[in-house]
This record gives sequence, structure tokens and C-alpha cells, in this order.
Amino acid sequence: MTKGRKPSGIRKKYLRDTIALLILALMLSSIGGWIYVREKMSATIIDQYEFMTEREGLALDALYRNSDEATAECILYEDVQKTLQTRGLEEISYNALSKSFAYVDLEGIADYCYVDNKKNVYSRSYSSISYEQVEESGFREYLGDEYSRTIWFWTSDRLFGTGEEALFIGRYVRSLEYAHEPGMLFFKMDPRFLEEIIDTERENGKETAIGIMDADGQICTAEQSEEFPVGASEEAYLIEQLKQQQGTGMILEGEHVKGGVLSAYRQAETGFVVFSFVPDEVLNQGLAEIILVFAGIYLVVIIVAVVLSMYFAERFTKPIQTINEAMTGFDGNDFERTIELHTNTELDEIGLSYNKMLVNIQRLLEEIKDQEKELRTSELNMLISQINPHFLYNTLDTIYMLARINKEETTMKMIQALSTYLRLSLSKGSEIVTVEDELENVKSYMEIQQIRNENLFSYEVDCQVDAAHTWVLKLILQPLVENAIKYGFCNIFEGGQIRIQVRKEGEILCLEVYNSGTPIEKEIMEKINAMNEMPLSQLKECFPDKKRGYGVVNIMTRLRLKYGDAVRFCYEAEQDGTRCLIKIPGGGKTEE
Amino acid sequence: MRKHRKEKRNRRRLLAVVSAFAVLSTGCARETEETSAEKQEVTIPMILTVDSSTGIKNEEKLVEAFNEAYEGVWQVEVDWIMETEEEYRQNLKRQNVTDTLPAVITDLRMLPSFYHMMIQDERIEDLSAWINEDEEWKAMIEPAVLEACSEEDGSIYLAPLSTAAFSCSGVFWNEELFAAAGISSFPQTWEEFWECCETLEEHGITPLALHTEGTAWAPMLFATAELAQSEEGAAFMKELYPDSYQNVCGIQLAETLKRLFEYTTEDALYTDFDVSYENFFSGKAAMIPNGYWMMDQIPEEWTGKVRFSPFPGNKLISSPETFGWAVVSGYSEEVKEGAVEFLKFRTKLNLEEKEELFSSSAEELIPAEQDYIKAYQENPQIVPNYQVKWNSILQEEVLGEALPLLTAGEISPEEFTELEDESIQRFEEEQ
Repeated sequence: MTKGRKPSGIRKKYLRDTIALLILALMLSSIGGWIYVREKMSATIIDQYEFMTEREGLALDALYRNSDEATAECILYEDVQKTLQTRGLEEISYNALSKSFAYVDLEGIADYCYVDNKKNVYSRSYSSISYEQVEESGFREYLGDEYSRTIWFWTSDRLFGTGEEALFIGRYVRSLEYAHEPGMLFFKMDPRFLEEIIDTERENGKETAIGIMDADGQICTAEQSEEFPVGASEEAYLIEQLKQQQGTGMILEGEHVKGGVLSAYRQAETGFVVFSFVPDEVLNQGLAEIILVFAGIYLVVIIVAVVLSMYFAERFTKPIQTINEAMTGFDGNDFERTIELHTNTELDEIGLSYNKMLVNIQRLLEEIKDQEKELRTSELNMLISQINPHFLYNTLDTIYMLARINKEETTMKMIQALSTYLRLSLSKGSEIVTVEDELENVKSYMEIQQIRNENLFSYEVDCQVDAAHTWVLKLILQPLVENAIKYGFCNIFEGGQIRIQVRKEGEILCLEVYNSGTPIEKEIMEKINAMNEMPLSQLKECFPDKKRGYGVVNIMTRLRLKYGDAVRFCYEAEQDGTRCLIKIPGGGKTEE
Repeated sequence: MRKHRKEKRNRRRLLAVVSAFAVLSTGCARETEETSAEKQEVTIPMILTVDSSTGIKNEEKLVEAFNEAYEGVWQVEVDWIMETEEEYRQNLKRQNVTDTLPAVITDLRMLPSFYHMMIQDERIEDLSAWINEDEEWKAMIEPAVLEACSEEDGSIYLAPLSTAAFSCSGVFWNEELFAAAGISSFPQTWEEFWECCETLEEHGITPLALHTEGTAWAPMLFATAELAQSEEGAAFMKELYPDSYQNVCGIQLAETLKRLFEYTTEDALYTDFDVSYENFFSGKAAMIPNGYWMMDQIPEEWTGKVRFSPFPGNKLISSPETFGWAVVSGYSEEVKEGAVEFLKFRTKLNLEEKEELFSSSAEELIPAEQDYIKAYQENPQIVPNYQVKWNSILQEEVLGEALPLLTAGEISPEEFTELEDESIQRFEEEQ
């Protein structure tokens, strides 16, 4: 059983953001798509029914024109005109005229009645309608003040006695020539007269409610879908909506009303309104299919997107995970566990850098181990040398007393100098000392060396700074003087000169040791001077032989550790000597 | 905590983006509604005839001038129809009973019964208020013309022309045919007229272009002008709805009609004025009576040989009211307002035409126009147009039926007058 791999944080974040972005994109596209499709589909359906309503309206116009022309034909009929003249129609022509109305060029006439201005009624032979019946029907009222316009009205049949609701077409019949009383012509229309308009369009509007309403809001004929029936209250609402509209022609062009969309056409002359009502259910019917298609597409898109995201997340995060595992799994010992990446991306660089870092860490660790080893040795030596400084001082005091008793001046002087040197070197634990102490230390050393090497050299100290208040790393000058005596005066026996100068150049404290002995070898000088540019860790490698150059490396290392890489430590070979210069930025004083 | 806040902020941003998108989407779908404050041009429907012989649209110049002057406000929309004047007048009656009259109608006064019925049934507008309150309009109308167009009670149903100068009828004659018969001038007396007819016939030239249909306009012009030669006849012509035609004047009129048809073409019977027109302008007949308005219908190649003269005895037939146009009631106020403005414009244009015509030099006018001006200015005797005086049944039924019988000798002049009187009886019955 293998341990489950810990999921990558980057991969999770990548997947999370990708899915969030995908959801946002899908949401926006679905909102936009939904709005667009809904508007477009609704507009298409509404346009379809609006166009249908307009066609029905135009059909109604045509019906009115037909009725107008048919009644006009009756009015202009010679015998009809004669009925209006004073002499009236001859008796013989009465029946013929009565029958002639049956042949009027208008389909759908269920019954007819013509009344002349002499109270004669012309109707079907079996109707036997009297003038009184005509007057009692109240149909004259429908003609109103019109001169001779064709009037449509929807009312119960009080003229022919059936009592059924029907469409009637009426018109005053005026004399062509004289100002006589007009006659009246009435046609009772068969229901199919209006129904034909709706039936023609029924195939196109199966799901809608279609109807024709008269000017007073009475429904003359209407059909509705069985699937989406219109209730009584809804019908009353729709009628009210239609009645509120002014004007003629298309008075409602796909208007959104409660429960659906209403289109209506008002016939100009009759005021009759053809309308179609499309319920919301019909409008939304097609949308359900669109939603399903949308959902299907989105599901596929989501699946593909998730799979691809996982694939790419794996592909992109795998090297990162490799780096992560290498880094987190590094135990500080196994420096062979390097990273091998070949992604052709910046990750390869990261891997290489990591490998380099491992090499550096390994080397540093080794250096630290060496330093620790050296430190332990130094500490041991130090402990040995500090075993009993009091004993050493007391012993020196005793020797000094003996030399004084024996009047050994030189011995006395040497012991005094050694005592001073040791006091400064051993008794003061601080790393930083005043220039005054440092100079006293080096003077003691030089005096000892003068006693040891009589007439070998003389020395001169030129301190241009406030020695008591200028600070410097201790035991810097002594090794330099030691090197000057050891290597500079190696070829002479007397007359050598050592000049020590301490000065300031701005904020830089300069310590200079000059010896008039043999000039330093060029190779050594360049090697020492090159140390200024070398990393601290590599200084020791400059002089692997500790018997030579150890002091220089020691000084350089200590100076760099104390004052940083800006410290300069240089040798100059002159014609008659060697000059060594130390430049300490910041004046040598530093915080402990 | 910070992470939680960041997530909340991100959620808010997402909602803002979605909301903005939704608002933009719905905003795009909404159409901007614009309303036009501009007043719409009012259309004034009218029906005018196209001359079947020349193809000239009658009154086209007037309509175009008005439509140009009132572009954007009113436009007269003319339904140009190829009909004779008689057909046009009969159609007026049909349009009235079927309630399809245009807003402005012409020739109404040529149909006396119909005209009075239109007044009685309030089918045409009384324009007296418009004219009397419009000083500019009123000033443009000659008093005689205004009086002729006014009813006894002062109402004005016929918007008049400015002048009677264009309403006179006389005789158009073919100078070439006259010259071919050796006649150099138009006869001055009726004796000379009949002699002229004889001479023309002797030279194989049909003297007169006549017809019997409609109201028998051409022969009736000759006959009524001849009747007005006598004082009694002139008085008879001034009578509105004469009580009887069985009198001296009636007999004389019938005899003149019979005589006139002796000098006309064979196709004169049962045909209308368009046949007469064709006969004259094809050179088949030497004379045709008609009004000034025929000047525009003279073919260009005929302008040099067609002359105009008053009827013998220096008579011109004119009833200015026959040129009055009416505004039909039942139209909207704005249409009627435009129609009235159109009629005022017509009066103004007529005045300008008169001034232009009478100030034109001889070179600018065709010979017939020069003759017309001369005739109008030589103090002619104006004989009223029978069409505004006699009953419709006589004009529209009896003349068309009885004239062929009279000319064929199937009925005598006396019987002709009996038929005329029957029309009076029938007409009175219908009143």
C-alpha cells in the first residue's frame, strides 16, 4: 500500500480559479444567451401572431369593402331608386325586387330586409316582415345620423325573429336625385361570414385565442386553444384592454399584457376588432427545449473544461511538486538528492539554482566544520596560555627583581617590555582597543626585538590621530612589524628602520607600517593584494602553508570579519623598502 | 480573516459584472421610442377628369400650383379619371348615395336637382362665412359672379371663380373650312348663320358638330342663344324651372334644334360631346359651340385655324355659378379647411389668369383667344346657361331621348314640348 500523494496547493488553486472563471463565463453567457434567445424567440412568435392578426384585419377590411360594394349595388339598383321616388315602384316589380336581394354579390347573407320611404318592406317571401316589425326592432337606431355609410352591428335578431346574436349590415338607401326620405337596407349575416376569417388563420394560430369583437366590446366570434384556454376573468380583462385602445389599424402590436401577448386590429369603418392572444405558456414553450440544449452544451463544456484543467494542472504543477518534494525532503545530509527537470520553462532554472545551492551549502558546511575544528584548537591553546597569567606576571616580577639586584639593565628593560606586551595581549579580552594601547603594544614588541637584535633597526611612530579616543582592532600592527623584521630585515644586520604612521583620510583610518629592508617580492605582494577581492571563505587557500603568510591571512580575515569587505589591506614594494597600508572605513570604531 | 474579506469582495465584483451585463442586455433589447411632433400633411381628395380626346388633365395646373404652394400643409390628391363630363356628373350622384364623394366636387350646379338635394340634405358646406369674413377672397370675386353663386338666403355653396370672363360660351369655327366655302367671317345674324350653313353644305362641308347625349350641350347652346334673340326668348331663358315649354319659346327652341341637326354629322345622334369634339378637330365639321375652357383643348396644329365668335346677334352664354366648386360635408374640419383654402387659391389663380390674359399682347395669344377677348369686351348679350335653369329630368332624360325623335321627324316640335312638360310634372312630383 502506497501513501496517498499530498495534493498540490497550486494545482488546487489553479483548479479552483479555473472552475470559478468557467462558472462565471458560463453564467454570463447563459444570462446573455437566455436574454437574447428569449427576446428573439418571443419576438419571432409575437411577430408571427401580429402578422396573422394584421392579415385577419385586412381580411375584415376586405369583408367590409365587399359588404359596402354589395349594399352600394343595391342602392344604385334602378328599381330600388324607383321605390324612393314619389310614384314608387310599380306593383308588378315589387316581388321581383324582393327576390333580387337574394342575388346580391355578397356571401354569407342569412336574411335581408329592405324598407323604402313609403313603408314598403322587401324581404324573402317567407319572412313576411311588416314595417312595424322593422321599426320595433330598433335597427334604425344603429344607422344613426349616418348619411349612407355601411354600418355593421352585432345584436340579437329582433328583425327576423330568431333572437340569436348575429352580425347585421345596415345602410340608408338615398335617392340619387331628390331629397326624399331614405330607405333602409339590412342584411343578417351568417356566422360563417366572420368565422371564415378566423378559420383561415386557425392553422397558423392553433395555440392562441383568436376572436372578433364589435365596437362595444361584444365578442362576435372567438376560438381558443384547448391546451391553453382563456378563463372568463382573463377574457374580461382582455376585452377591457382592447376597448382602451384608440385608433384604427394595428392598435396592439404584440403588446405584453397580463398572462400573455395581445395583438389587435381595429377595422376603420366598423370599429370591429380582430385580436389574437398568445398565452405566456406558448411563448415559453420553445424556451424549455432551448434550456435543455443549453444545459447539455454547458454540461459537456464543464466536463471537458474540468478534465482539461486537471490535465494541465497536473502537467504544470508536477515539476513544482518535484521541486517542493526535493526541498521539503532535504534532511541536511543528503546532498546527492538533486532536481532533474526538463520542462523548457523557468522551472528548469529553479531546479538548477537549487542544485547549485546544495553544492554551496555542502561547501559551507565543510568550512564551518573546519572553522569549528580550528576554533576548538585555538580555544584550547588560549586556555593553555591563560592557565595562570598571574603566575606568569609574578614570575616576570621576580625575574625583574633579580635582574635589578644584579644590575642587569637590559634584562630589566626586556622584562618590562615583555610584561607590557603580554598585559595588552592577554589581559584585555576586548577585541577593540584604543590606538594608544595598540601603539604601546607594538612598541613593546619592537623594544623586545631591538634587544634581541641589537642595532638591527630603529623605529619611529607618528600618530596623527587622537590615540586615546580612536579605536582599532587589536594586534593588527604587531604581526606587520613581525613580518617587517622577519622578511624585510632578513638580509641586513643593522640600520634597518621601521616607521609606523596612524592618520585619518576623511572617515578612513589609515595604519601604515614601513620598513626599509628588502622590498617584498612582487608575486607575494600581488597575492596579498588580490586577497582584498576574494571571498572570505577562500582567504585561507591563498597561503595553504601555514608557516608563511599565516599572519597576513589572519589580519585580513579578522579585519574583514570586523569591518566588512570595504576594508583594504595592501603591500607596496618600494625601491628601498616595503610599505604596508591598512584602510579602515568608519575610523576603526565599531560597536562591540 | 483577510482571505474571507477578499472572497467577499470578489463575490461583490462578480455580482456587479453580472448585473451590468444583465442591464446592458436588457437595455440593448429595449427600443427607443420616438414621437414626432410634426404636423402631418392633410390630404384633400378630389376627382377630376382627363380629356379623352387630348389626354389633358383638366385643372392640373391649378392642382399643381396649390400643392406646390402648400407643400407640407395641404395636398390635393386627385383621382384622374377618363370620363365625359356627363359621366362625371352621374358619378357624383352615385358617390353621394354611397357616401364616397371626394372633399371637393365640381359641376354640381350643372345638376340642378342634385344641387338642391345636396343643400337640403346638408351634404355640402355653406361657404358664405368663409368668403364674407375673408376680405381678400371676397375682393377677388366680381360682384356678378358672387351674386350668381349665392342663394336667395345669402348662403354660398359654390366657391366662385374670380371672374365671369372665362365662363362664356360661343362658337369655335374652322377658318380654313369657312374659307374653302368662300366665307371670310363668322355670321353676325341668325339669318346669315343659316345661310352660312347652307353655303358650307353646298361646298361639301358639314357645318355643325353636334350630339344628343348628356344634356345635348352643343345643340342646346345654339338653340338657347337663338331663342334669346327675341325679348320674350331672352326672358324665357332667365326663368328658373319654367312652368311649361308648350309655348312660343318652347316651340321655337324645338324647331331650331330640329333645324340645327340638318347641318350636322351622321353620328350626332345618341353620342356625347366627345364625338362632336372629334368631328370638329378632325375637320369633319366647321363649327362647334363651347366655352372658353376649350382653348386648352385645341390641338397645337389647330391653333392657327380655329377662331372664336359670339353666337349670332353678339350673344354669349354664361352662368358663372356653373364653375363654382363645392366642399363636401362629412370630412374632418382640417380637410374642409384645406379644401376651402384650395378654392380660395383657385379664385386667386383665376384672377391672375384673367389679368394675364387681358394684358397679353396679340402675339402671345392664339387667334381664338384674341377673338374671345374681343367678343367679351364688345358688350355681348349674356344668355343664362339652360343647365342651371331647367330641371334635371328634362336635361338628363328627355333631351337625350326626344332629340333623336325630333330630328328624325318622328315627333313634331309640339310633341317635343309635351315631353318637356312631362318632365316638369315628374320633377315637381319629386319635390
